[in-house]
Amino acid sequence: MPDLFIRVSPLSDIAIQGRFGADHGVPGVMFSLPAPSHMVTVIARKGKAKALAQALKNFDARWAGPDQYFVWGEPYETVSGKLKGLASCSDQSHGRVVIGIVGPHVRQVLAKGSPIDFHPAEFPVGKSALTQMAHVGVHVTRVGADAFEISVFRGFSESFWEWITEQAEEFGYQVT
Amino acid sequence: MTGFRLDKGGLIDRTTTLNFSFDGKVFTGFQGDTLASALIANNVHLMGRSFKYHRPRGVISAGSSEPNALVTLREGGRQEANTRATMVELYDGLAARSQNRWPSLNFDVGAVNSLASHMFVAGFYYKTFMWPKSFWEKIYEPLIRRAAGLGHASKEADPDKYEKAYAHCDLLIIGSGPTGLMAALTAARAGVRIILADESAALGGSLLNENEEIDSVSGLDWALAALSELRSLPNVTLMPRTTVFGWYDGNVFGAVERVNDHVAEPSPYEPRQRYTRIFARRAVMATGAEERPIVFGGNDVPGVMLASAMRTYANRYAAAAGKSIVVFTNNDSGKRTASDLRRAGVHVEAIIDSRKTAHLIVDVKGGKRVTGVELGNHRSIPCDAVAMSGGWSPIVNLMCHRGAKPLWNESIAGFVPPDVGSAFVAAGSAAGHMLLSECLADGARAGTMKGRVPAVPKCRDERFAVTPLWWVKESTGKAFVDYQNDATAKDLPLAAREGYRDIELAKRYTTAGMATDQGKLGNVNAIAILADATGRTMDQVGTTTFRPYYTPVSFGALAGPFVRHHFQPVRKTPLHDWAYELGATFVEAGLWMRSSWFPMDGEDWLAAATREVLATRSGVGICDVSTLGKIDVQGPDATEFLNRLYCNTFSTLAAGRARYGLMLREDGIVFDDGTTSRLAEDHFLMTTTTANAARVMAHMEFCHQAHWPDLDVQYVSVTEQWGQMAIAGPKARATLQKIVDDITLDDTSFPYLAARPVSILGGMQARLFRISFSGEHAYELAVPADYGSMVARAVMQAGQEFGITPYGVEALSIMRIEKGHVAGGELNGTTTAGDLGLGKMMSTKKDYVGRMMAQREGLQDPNRQCVVGIRPYDPKGKIRSGAHILNKGDAASMAADQGYISSVAWSPMLEMWVGLALVANGRSRHGEIVKLFDGIRNTLTYGVICDPVHYDRENIKLHA
Repeated sequence: MPDLFIRVSPLSDIAIQGRFGADHGVPGVMFSLPAPSHMVTVIARKGKAKALAQALKNFDARWAGPDQYFVWGEPYETVSGKLKGLASCSDQSHGRVVIGIVGPHVRQVLAKGSPIDFHPAEFPVGKSALTQMAHVGVHVTRVGADAFEISVFRGFSESFWEWITEQAEEFGYQVT
Repeated sequence: MTGFRLDKGGLIDRTTTLNFSFDGKVFTGFQGDTLASALIANNVHLMGRSFKYHRPRGVISAGSSEPNALVTLREGGRQEANTRATMVELYDGLAARSQNRWPSLNFDVGAVNSLASHMFVAGFYYKTFMWPKSFWEKIYEPLIRRAAGLGHASKEADPDKYEKAYAHCDLLIIGSGPTGLMAALTAARAGVRIILADESAALGGSLLNENEEIDSVSGLDWALAALSELRSLPNVTLMPRTTVFGWYDGNVFGAVERVNDHVAEPSPYEPRQRYTRIFARRAVMATGAEERPIVFGGNDVPGVMLASAMRTYANRYAAAAGKSIVVFTNNDSGKRTASDLRRAGVHVEAIIDSRKTAHLIVDVKGGKRVTGVELGNHRSIPCDAVAMSGGWSPIVNLMCHRGAKPLWNESIAGFVPPDVGSAFVAAGSAAGHMLLSECLADGARAGTMKGRVPAVPKCRDERFAVTPLWWVKESTGKAFVDYQNDATAKDLPLAAREGYRDIELAKRYTTAGMATDQGKLGNVNAIAILADATGRTMDQVGTTTFRPYYTPVSFGALAGPFVRHHFQPVRKTPLHDWAYELGATFVEAGLWMRSSWFPMDGEDWLAAATREVLATRSGVGICDVSTLGKIDVQGPDATEFLNRLYCNTFSTLAAGRARYGLMLREDGIVFDDGTTSRLAEDHFLMTTTTANAARVMAHMEFCHQAHWPDLDVQYVSVTEQWGQMAIAGPKARATLQKIVDDITLDDTSFPYLAARPVSILGGMQARLFRISFSGEHAYELAVPADYGSMVARAVMQAGQEFGITPYGVEALSIMRIEKGHVAGGELNGTTTAGDLGLGKMMSTKKDYVGRMMAQREGLQDPNRQCVVGIRPYDPKGKIRSGAHILNKGDAASMAADQGYISSVAWSPMLEMWVGLALVANGRSRHGEIVKLFDGIRNTLTYGVICDPVHYDRENIKLHA
C-alpha cells in the first residue's frame, strides 16, 4: 500500500524551507520534517511487560507511558505480527506528525514549552517523555547531544509548528 | 561638581550620552543611568503627585521598593503605567511622563485635597460615601476613581511579544550581592547547576552601590571578578533583570525577566519580557535588606530620601541629591552616608542621630523641594536634601509566600525570615546578618550542597547598630508611614481607636501597605506605631500576609505567547483541506474546526443547510465526521471491559459488526454514547462524541486502574489516525460501490451495522461501517488520515453523477433532530437512559458502571422529564430552543414549569420548525397542546408534544 498512494503531511504547505528569525550567523536551531513513516502504539499485555521490553530491543521503540511505547519505522502489520501475544498494537502512522529539531539552542526552545528538565544529566540520548507544549500533548525523544524528535497529534501539527518556530526566532532557525 | 552630576566616579559610561524626556522636557543622561538617577543629576526631584492629597513627591529609594517616583513610559500600545523610575534603565529616546496630576505636575488642581485633608482621614471612603446607598455605584465611586488612581493603561494592543519558559537547577540564588555571589561561587566551583537571578540590570547587588573592601580589593572589583568566573562556567546561568516574584509548592519559583524593557523597541524576534518558572532543588534567599524611612513631618518633600539611596546615587550613578545635606538616622547608616557623600564632594551640613541627640527633625521645610529642616528645639537648618535611615528590614517576602510568618528580632530591630526547611534558606542580610563578613560566610554556607564549607575572603566590616525610632511624634506637618497610599502616622492610632487593632484590619482601614509597593518601606513603621498605640510588642502585632507578586508583573508576561490566534491551539481534521476547497464555513467545536455548512451563491447558513439536507435525503451527501473520538480497545478482556463500561451488552457482538452503546456515569446519569465495532475477537473500535473524547478516555483509565486492574485490556486513542466521512442518502451505496474493491455492497454482504476492513481505490486499506446518524441508508468510511482529503475528493467524483453534496454539522444536526436522535442538548448531564427513551438498553443480566445508582427512586420517577418531540401549534410558527413548557392553562412560573425545549431545527422535509424537548412524564403526553414561554425574548406561543421521531418513523429509508 505505501507505494500506491502519496501521503500528504499536514505541514507540507506550511513548513517552508529557508532561514528565518534573527541572524546571529549559525542558526540557533534547525527544523526538519522527516518523510511520513510508520509509528505504532505498543502496549504490553498483562504480565508481559518484561518480555515485551526484551522483544522491543530489535525495534526503534520509544517509551510512551508505563509499559507503553511508540515503535518507529516499521509497518503496523510487521510490528503487530512480531509482538503477537505480548502486546496490543495500534497504527498511529498517520495520526502523529514528526518534527526534528537540532542545534545549539535546542534546549532553550524546548524550555519555552515544557516543564521537563532536558539537561543531558536528566534527559540523556534515547530518553523519551510525554509532555505538553503550548497546550498540545507532545512526545519528545532525545536523539543526539543537541537533537530531539517531537511528535504531535496530526490535527494540532499546524498550530504547534507556528508556535515552536516562533519560539526559535530569537536564535534564528532554518527549516530543512 | 558641575550641576548635580559628580565629576568622577560611578558606574556610568560618560562617553555615551542619552537623550530622554520627562513630561515633554528633554534631558540628557549617561549609559548606566536609571531614569531616577538621570533626573536627580538634572536636579529634577519632583517626579509625581501623591495618591490622595496630590502632594509633590520625589524619589525615596534607589530600587524596586520605590513608592513615589512612578511614571508612565512610552506611547501608544507600548505605554506602561506605574513603572518605578528607580528601576527604569535609561535609553536614548526614552519618553516618561508623571502621573496623577492635572493639568501639570507643577500645578496640580487635585492638590486642593490637601487643604480638605480632614475629610480624607483613614476610612474616609467608608464614612463619607455611605449614604445614600444608590449614590455609591453611580456617583461616588466613579468620581473617586477619576480623582484617585495612579497611571492609565493604554487601550491599544501591545505590539510586543511575551514568552513563557521553564528552568531547572540544583541551586537557585536570588540576589547577587555579596551573599548571593559567595553562594554562587561556592556552588558553581563544586559543579552544581545554578541559576543566579537579580532584579537589577547589573549583577553585584549592594557591591555596586557601596564602598566595601573584600580580599584587599574594592567590593566592586571583587564582584566583577566573581561574575567573570561565573560567566566562564557551563553549569551557571546568570539572570540579570529578573525578578523572582513568588515561591510556590514544590520549590517552584516564578520569575519575570525584563528582556527588552531597556531598549526603545525590541527586535521583532525577541520578547519584551519572559515569565519563567524555575524548578529548584534548593534555593537561597540572598535578597538583602531594605532601609526604612523615619516617620516625621514632611518626610515626603522631594529631596528627602533614604540614606542608602543617596549613597547609591552618589557612588553608583555619580549623582548628588543636593548641594547641602542633612542626615537623619537612628543607626550607623547615617555616618556611612555622610562619609561617602563627603568623599564624593557633597557638603553634609549636619547629622541628626537620634541615639545622640534629643533634638530630632520635627519638620521638613519646602514644597516641591526641601529648603531646610526644623529641629525639636526650633532650630532651623537650611539644606536642599535630607538623607534618612530608620534601620534595616531584611527582605523576607519570598520565604513568607507559603504562609509562614517572619519573626521579630530585637537586636537588628527588624523582622527576620522564618525557618521553612532546608530546600529554601535565607542568607546574609536577608537573614538578619548585617555585617559583610557574615554575608560572605553565610553565602558560602548556603552554597555548599555537601561537604565542608570553604573559607571565605577577608573583608572590612562597617559598624551595624540601631536603636529604634519610629515616629517623631512632635512633628506638626504630615508624617507619612506609607507614601504611596498617603497613610500618615496618625491614621494608625485612629484605626486602633475605631477597633481595627489587628494589623490586617488596620491595613484595610488605613490602606497602609497596599498598591504597587505593598508597603515595602513603610510596613514595619506601621506595625511599630500600631504596637505603640495598642500597648503590644512587634511580635504580638505581627506582619500582614506576604503574597506573590514581590513586585508588579505585567499581564503580558503572564499571558505569554498565548494571545490572539495562539490563545488556544487549533485542531484541524484530515478532511480540512477538502472542506476548505469547497468553501466550507468552519465552526469551533472544542478545539476542532468543523465544516459547518458549504454556502453556494450567497446562501446564508439556513439556506445552505436546508439545501444540503434535501440533497442528502434525495440523493447522497458526504460529511466530515473525523472529530468523533476513536479508541482502540484490545486484549483478552476487552469484551468484559466494554460490558462493564456500557450499560448494554457487547459480549454478544459478532466480529465485523457495530453496535450503538450507551455509557452511564457512576451516579446513573448518561455519560456518553456512540457506536462500537468489533474488528476481531479481541479488538474493538469504540467511538465517542466529539466533546467527550478525552473524558471517556480518562474514565476508562480510571475504571481500569482503580476498579478492575485485573483485566487484561489495552486501549489507546486513534482519533487522529483516521479521517472519517459519512456518506448518506439513497445513492450512498451506489456512490461507494464505485470506489470499493472486490466487494458488493448489498444487504447480504454488507448489511446494516456491518463494520469491516475494506480495500478502496485499488488497494488502500480502509474501514467501512454501515451506520447512520442522519436516518438515511448511510455509511461511514475511515481512511488513514494523510489520505483523508484525497479520498473525500474521490468520493465526490464517484458521487458526481448522483449529485453528491457536501454537508456540514448544521445539516447533520437538522437531520438528527428530524430523526429524534439525542445529542448534546439531551445528553446534558441530567438525563437517564430512561429519560432519553433508551431505558431498554440497560442490561439486567450484567453489572456495569452506574447500574446501582440508576435504580434510585428519583431516577425511576415516572414524572421525570423525558425526551419528546415538540412542534409549533401553528405549523407556520416558530419554536425556540430554551423555551419553557407550561400546561396550557398555566401562567409562567417556576412552580408550573413542565420542562424545556432542548433542540430545534427548521425541517426541510416537513417544512416546519420541529424540536426535541424534555417534558415531565412526556411520553404519555404525545398530542397535548402546551404553552411555550421564552423568557429571554418574552414570547408566549403554543406547541404540541409529539413523538421525538419527526421523520421516517418506520426507518424505511435507513434500511432502503
